[in-house]
Amino acid sequence: MPETSYAVLGVFETPDALMKAIPQVRAAKLGAVEAYTPYAIHGIEEALGLRKSPLGGMVLVMGILGAITAFGFQYWISAVDYPIITGGKGAGSWEAFIPIMFEVTVLFATFTAGLGMLFLLNKLPFFGHPVLSSKSIKGITRDRYVLALEAESEAFDSTAAARALQAAGAIEVEALPAPDRSPFLTSDYVLRTLGGIFTACVVAGMAMYFATKWFPVLAPMKYMQEQPRLNAQKASSFFKDGHGMQLPVAGTVARGYLPTATGTQEEAASLVNPLPRTPEVFALGKKVYTNRCEVCHGAVGNGVGSLTAAYGAKPANLQAQQFLDYPDGKIYWAIVNGKNAMPSHAPYLSERERWAVVDYVRALQRAQNAKDEDLKVATR
Amino acid sequence: MKLDAATSAGDIPEALIEPALTVGVVTPGSLDDQVLAFPEMKPPKQWYLGLAVTLTALLIGVGCIGYVFVTGIGAWGNTSPVFWAFDIINFVFWVGIGHAGTLISAILFLFRKRWRNAIARFAEAMTIFAVICAVIFPLIHVGRPWLAYWLFPYPNQRALWTNFRSPLLWDVFAVNTYFSVSLMFWYLGLIPDIASMRDRTTSKIRKVLYTVLAMGWRGAASHWQHYEKAYLLLAGLATGLVLSVHSVVSFDFATSVVPGWHMTIFPPYFVAGAIFAGFAMVVMVLVVVRETMQLKNLITMRHLDVMNKVILAMSCIMGYSYMMEGFTAWYSMNEYLHHGFMNIISGTYGWAGWVTISCNILIPQILWFKKARASYFWMILVAIGVTIGMWFERFVIIVISLHQDYLPSAWRIYKPTMIDFGVLLGTFGIFFTLVLLFARVLPVIATTEVKAILPGAQPSHHGDDHHA
Repeated sequence: MPETSYAVLGVFETPDALMKAIPQVRAAKLGAVEAYTPYAIHGIEEALGLRKSPLGGMVLVMGILGAITAFGFQYWISAVDYPIITGGKGAGSWEAFIPIMFEVTVLFATFTAGLGMLFLLNKLPFFGHPVLSSKSIKGITRDRYVLALEAESEAFDSTAAARALQAAGAIEVEALPAPDRSPFLTSDYVLRTLGGIFTACVVAGMAMYFATKWFPVLAPMKYMQEQPRLNAQKASSFFKDGHGMQLPVAGTVARGYLPTATGTQEEAASLVNPLPRTPEVFALGKKVYTNRCEVCHGAVGNGVGSLTAAYGAKPANLQAQQFLDYPDGKIYWAIVNGKNAMPSHAPYLSERERWAVVDYVRALQRAQNAKDEDLKVATR
Repeated sequence: MKLDAATSAGDIPEALIEPALTVGVVTPGSLDDQVLAFPEMKPPKQWYLGLAVTLTALLIGVGCIGYVFVTGIGAWGNTSPVFWAFDIINFVFWVGIGHAGTLISAILFLFRKRWRNAIARFAEAMTIFAVICAVIFPLIHVGRPWLAYWLFPYPNQRALWTNFRSPLLWDVFAVNTYFSVSLMFWYLGLIPDIASMRDRTTSKIRKVLYTVLAMGWRGAASHWQHYEKAYLLLAGLATGLVLSVHSVVSFDFATSVVPGWHMTIFPPYFVAGAIFAGFAMVVMVLVVVRETMQLKNLITMRHLDVMNKVILAMSCIMGYSYMMEGFTAWYSMNEYLHHGFMNIISGTYGWAGWVTISCNILIPQILWFKKARASYFWMILVAIGVTIGMWFERFVIIVISLHQDYLPSAWRIYKPTMIDFGVLLGTFGIFFTLVLLFARVLPVIATTEVKAILPGAQPSHHGDDHHA
């Protein structure tokens, strides 16, 4: 047997024989005792005196860390960096974070269990272990149970170790040479291969990116911005008049905007305002008047709006006696049909909005010609 | 072990002794020669024939997906108001099929059902292949799959983040976690088996391949100790995960306000349906595997009997769920819910509702008979029925609920196109191609796990205290 043995392996045929041999071989105290088996054998860890696996604690810690990470990440994004209200819940409501917290917890825990077992505890991948190049390895991964006495110091006596194993019932013994530090498949080699594959992927990805960038014909698809469309300030080639946005066909009426014509203004005089005089109606009338009428007729209806001076137009002074005497229907008629330079407002205002404006004009007229009893009402 | 005459006789009543897990004499060595020999043999003619069929289906699918990429998803039948149709039906269908694998490998492991050792490997592989098929659908449904990474919350120049309150994002996390965990579970289980193959192969290329994949596994007792612990932890974690994944999938529907979707029964109902469909698929594939690969002594009729019992139990749970749907519609006195339920049994798609009920509830009842559970004809008939029925169940849930909801003016009849069917066929092609390749390259039975439960595999003085 070679002087620099790393270990001596004793082969057993049954798990019972292996389990019986373990205490005997351990008692000889010739070196570290390790077993190699085709599958996990119950109770062997106690027989070999192995420390309890710390994996459970590692997984617990990493699982908790996963939950905290997922919660912190989601909270920071949804409540701090990009607050967003969904389903009427506050930006910081945490209940909806639970599913992802659970998934991330499981992800952290399983990766710790799997990779922690392989890389940290078992120190795999390791292709240079002498057992892998032994004669016995074929039996170990098939149906043989191997007990190994491994050298712990320079003083390892492989002959005595072999004798001890035979005495314990080993049918075969094999001495292993010292570990080969430069085998073909080292973890370095694997890492280099993986690195090569990664580099190839990056190069291929970059090549694809630049190929599609420089040769746009190769573009795999068209993005939405690359479609036929009308740019700002450009003529439309589709419509004859070159306008991209067309007016509605003459006579187009939106739903709820009838009636559009009410005969002559004299005929309209008999129309009765159907709206009750409530604060809501006046509020609506004020809103519509401010948006549609105020620029010409002025804030108090005296015909001095902001546009008047600029264009030299002369809009009606609604405070004039002529208009104070108008029945509601005549004002309504003017809104629907337009009068003089004023265009029809029928397309913009629903029937309710038109009558609300009439009410608001009445309110303006009364406010500008207030009587004593109005003051009493106002200060009551 | 209980199976040893020396330990099981005497204090354990005969009725409680677990029947043998294998048929005939199986030793660790004969097991390796039987199972690990497949990857080294020249494939038989039937294998090539099967591959030709599945590859044809796969290519049809690839062609249809290519057509969708070029023309856009308008190539499908999806239209207002049915914006979710085949893509989500198929997604839920495939994810569900995957669940059986995790159930067998993780939940039955925790329950110490040792018969699962012989079929766990195949079921786990089917999980991974089914999830691959499933993720294709959301990916192509986004229309531009090369931008699918937008689904992930990463810092970007648009200064936008994903919405963590959307069930669709939960789906992204759940399905990705599920795939990673299943893959890791499967690979860890494979490592000792790959080490066995590494040490018996004579081909140089295979030697290098298996050497790298086995990571230098050498079967040391100190390694086995951590390995067993890791496997137990993974089983426990995967159990919670598998229940969460289909619950999250059901949240896609249950958190909306569509009548027929907005129900609290959805998560358990979806999980039961997933296990149901998955077991049917596993039974179908296992029957073919045990016949064509001469594995009758390892995948026994008892395995199929137990699996058929699970299918029967799940069928009853599904029947209860369907009845609860009807009850909820009636008891809620909600006219929309009521209308939705009437659509399932008598509307335009009423036939789909009845296909679901017959295939999922009525046909599996034959499995109450022991003879049917032992007959290939009946179990395959039930398995195919359940696969069809569970696909139609998702069709019923998704299309029937969407095509008529609150607004009658928006109602419309949905019609799938040939492209829809082509993509579905393609995923079946992908799934079975991967199954065939897997059967040729890797051990289809977890030899290491089966070795550990063979008679005499554990030290006799230590056998029973784990199970007593």
